This record gives sequence, C-alpha cells and structure tokens, in this order.
Amino acid sequence: MKDSNFKMVLILCTVAAVAAFILSLVNMATKEKIAEAYRQEFLSGLTAVLPEYDNEPDKTILEVKGKKVYVAKNDNKTVAYALTSTSPKGYGGDIVVLIGVRPDGRINGIEILRHAETPGLGSKINDESWQKSFDNLTAKDDIAVKKDGGIIDQFSGATISPRAVCEAVDKGLTFITENVLEQEN
Amino acid sequence: MAELILLFISAVLVNNFVLSRFLGLCPFFGVSRKLDTAIGMSFAVTFVMTVAGIITWIIQYSVLNPFGLGYLQTIVFILVIASLVQFVEIVLEKISPALYNSLGIFLPLITTNCAILGAAILNIQEGFSFIQMLVFTIGSALGFGLALIIFSGIRERVELADVPKYFRGIPIAFVTAGILALAFMGFSGLVK
Amino acid sequence: MIGRIFKEGFWKNNAVFKQVLGLCPTLAVTTSAINGIAMGLASTAVLLCSNFVVSLVKDIIPAKVRIPSYIVIIASFVTMVDLLMNAYVHDLHKVLGLFIPLIVVNCMILGRAESFASKNTPFKSIVDGLGVGLGFTFALLILGGVREILGNGSLLNVTIFPERFSPAIAMILPPGAFIALGFILFGYNYIEDKRNSGQKSQTKEQ
Repeated sequence: MKDSNFKMVLILCTVAAVAAFILSLVNMATKEKIAEAYRQEFLSGLTAVLPEYDNEPDKTILEVKGKKVYVAKNDNKTVAYALTSTSPKGYGGDIVVLIGVRPDGRINGIEILRHAETPGLGSKINDESWQKSFDNLTAKDDIAVKKDGGIIDQFSGATISPRAVCEAVDKGLTFITENVLEQEN
Repeated sequence: MAELILLFISAVLVNNFVLSRFLGLCPFFGVSRKLDTAIGMSFAVTFVMTVAGIITWIIQYSVLNPFGLGYLQTIVFILVIASLVQFVEIVLEKISPALYNSLGIFLPLITTNCAILGAAILNIQEGFSFIQMLVFTIGSALGFGLALIIFSGIRERVELADVPKYFRGIPIAFVTAGILALAFMGFSGLVK
Repeated sequence: MIGRIFKEGFWKNNAVFKQVLGLCPTLAVTTSAINGIAMGLASTAVLLCSNFVVSLVKDIIPAKVRIPSYIVIIASFVTMVDLLMNAYVHDLHKVLGLFIPLIVVNCMILGRAESFASKNTPFKSIVDGLGVGLGFTFALLILGGVREILGNGSLLNVTIFPERFSPAIAMILPPGAFIALGFILFGYNYIEDKRNSGQKSQTKEQ
C-alpha cells in the first residue's frame, strides 16, 4: 500500500520535473525575443508622440518625484520629454496616456497606451485625427471637452472617455511643466 | 479605504466575472438549472477562489518572481487549485454529504473553472497588494455567485415556459444570459 | 476509421455546439473572425500535443494520479504556446491576453485526454485531437464571423458593408456574444435534427 502511494507521488513529481525542465529550455529560447517585443511596443508609442530623435528615449530616463520621464535628444540637444499619465475615470476603467512634450511646454503628441472603453464609441479616443486636437496645447490652456468649456471635441454618446483623456493629459502636462520644464529655466 | 470599496463594487457589478469578463461560464450554464445547487456551487467557488487567490499570490511573490520562474505560473497555479479542490472535496464529503452529492460531478469541475485560475492570474497582472487582492478576489467570487443565483432563478422559470423546439435547453439559456449581461451593463460608469 | 474519428470530433461531438465546453474563450475572444481563428488554432495545438503525449504515457501513469499528471502535461504545452506566441506573434498575444493561459482549463482538452487519449493509440489520438480542435476552431470562426459582421461591418478586417451601415455594437460586447451563440446553437440543433430524421426515414424505406 505504502509502495503504490510512494510510486504515485514519484511519478507525479517526475512528470512535473520533466515539464519544468522542458519549459525552462523554451523560456530561455524565447526570453530575449519577448523582451524585445515589449520594448518595440513601447518604442512605437514613444515614436508616435516624440519629434525626431537619435538617442534611445526608453533608456534615457529622468526620475522626477518617483515618476519616469523619458528624454528624447537630437544632436545631443533635448527635443522632447515623454511620460505616462493615468486617469481612473474612463468608462471601463483606467486610461493610460503617453504624452510627448517639447521644451517650450507644448504637447507634441499623445498616444493611448491602455484603455477599456466601449468599442465603436469611447474607443474613438484611439483615432489619430482626434488625438491631434491636443497638439501644441500648454499647461496654461484649458484642456477639457467642449461640454466642460474646453476646446476638445467629445463624441456624441460618449463624453466620459474623452473627458478622462483630457484629465490624464492635463495632469501629465502640468506635472512635467512644473517639475521639469520650470526647473530648467 | 474608498479605493477598496470601489474595487469591490467594480469586481461584483461593473466588471462582473461572468457577464462581463466571460469567466466561469461552464459551471454558470451547467449548474444553474436548480437554485439550491447554484447556491451551493457559489459558496464552494467563493471559498476555493479566495484561498487559491491567497496561496497563489504568496507563491508568485515569494517564489516565482524572486527566482525568475514566472513562466511556471500556469503550471504552479493550476496545481495549487487542483489540490485545493481535492481537499475541499474530501472535507465536504465528511461535513455535508448531502451538499457533496447534490454538487456531484461539478465539484471536481471547479478545478477547470476558468474563474478561479482567471482570478489568480488577474491578481498578479493588476499588481494588487495583498489587501487589494483579497478585496478583488472575494468581490469577484461574490459577483460570480450573484450572477449564478439570479440566472438560476430565471432559468427555473424559463423551464416552465413554452419555448420553441430547437431553442429548448441550452440555446434559450444563452439568449437569457445575453439579456442579463445587457442589464448588468447598466452598472458601467457606476464607479466614478 | 480515421475519417470517422475526425468527423465525430469535428461536427457530431463538436466541443462548442454539442458538448457546450470551452465556453470562456469561445465567448471572450470572438470579437472578430481572426481572433477566433487564432484562439482556435492555439487550443488545437495544445490539444494535439497533449493528446499525443498522454497517449504515449498512458500505461506508465497510475490511475489515481492521472488527472493531476494530465493537468501538468496540458499546462506545459499551454505555457509553451504562450511563450512562443508572445515571442513571435506579439500583437496577437496581446489581444488574446488572459485567455491563452486559460486554455489549460478548457474542459475540452482535459476531456479528450481522459476519454480518448488515455484509451487509444498515439496516432488515433492525434486524429481525434485534430477533429475536436478544428471543430472548436470552426465554431469560433462562425461566432467570430457573425459578431464581426454585425458588430463591426467587416470580416477578417475587410470592411464589407457600405459606410451608411450602422453596426450593432452590442454584438462585440458581452450581451451580443451570448445571444449570438444562443442563435447559432439553435441553428445547430435544427440542422442536426433534420439530418437525423433524414437518416431515420432512409432506414425506414430500407
């Protein structure tokens, strides 16, 4: 009786050990490719919000008050900063926005990194043409939807999503203007 | 504190595990024919989900991550869940043979309940702290139970109605679930 | 013989339409036809490998530990598929997300391991895996296609309805998934019933 119990545990452990071993091999084979894929994903977001650069902004990081600010340089001159900003007020939860800001305090571009908005309605925040309406705004501008007195279009039937994006952009822009740009001057 | 309450409400209603995240569907359709089996299953799932959530969270942060074994997450988690269900089966058989018998085949099937593995993985993906994990897991389990019990109540009634021939049984159950999901969508935007 | 095993797995015993298994991924990822196909093929890959391995080791593993052992085997292949997809089809991996590791709890896979692979030869198990897996993929394709056409006006990312077509967004959302599958199951029941009564009247005539 004890024999067969021991045999059972032994077989199960062997199966698990073989599995773990094979998996560790597959893991080693794919680890780098996976890390590279994530890096490319983030880089393409950065490229969308930054002007031309020749450094590696995802590796050139300023730590400001616990937040990561990515620095883009061209010819050794800083051409823009990028940072993520989150608003919990999306229709389906958090919306994470990546903002590119030039040294003169103006937005170079925004990109939605993460959202759970309704497809076809709130998900229109992914439209490039809508995102362009944030270009060249500064922290002094009223970044809000038209309904709230600002200049950003809301979508009929979906005010919550664009409103949340405005909040995220405003938060991020104010942060970088106060903590980075004004320190440099 | 407010943040935790929002997390809880979001897990139960807004992002309901069954009607919004599509987790836990097999038992949802399998057990919902009778109300009392549904209630029993809800308790069992809540218990297993909570304990599994705690154990897997601890293992992830004290073993898998420190040793770079993240890729073993699926295997380790599912084994923890399978063992836990086995344990619950043994205990339940002793404590309440009636419930054990009425749950029947569905008890071991809790192992393959994607809601439990799903919750365990989500806890890690969302980067919850221990308290957040507890709130989210219990909330999700209660959300599952809520949906299951409501659905079961409706199904008992539908059984008595005059359903067209090829809709009887599973197809009409799906249409019903769709309407229930539509109702739950009304909770979106509740958490502001 | 081989044909019979394949046909039964694909249609008569279809994992989704007949056995109503693997519901979670079926409803969750079929927001488009491509996503449905991808999930179907990933699950089929796991099913093929696990059926094969389970069939190879069926005589070595004692009956009492077979379920946990099968689970470890299935989980290993799921992890492999997860890692490989993350590395080589990263965008698709992002879309399918949580449901790739959840392939391990797709009752269809453990079900086939327990009811077929543990009792048949490796070759037959592979055929069975192909039949059930492709049947599953087929079901996902149908559901994904319907939801995509009605909810997005496109199929396989090709817009097929004119601009004036206002898609029923609910089809891409949870309610649409449930209701669409309900109607598809209705259709399956209808077809099966007609086929069966057709066969019955054939045997009566004989």
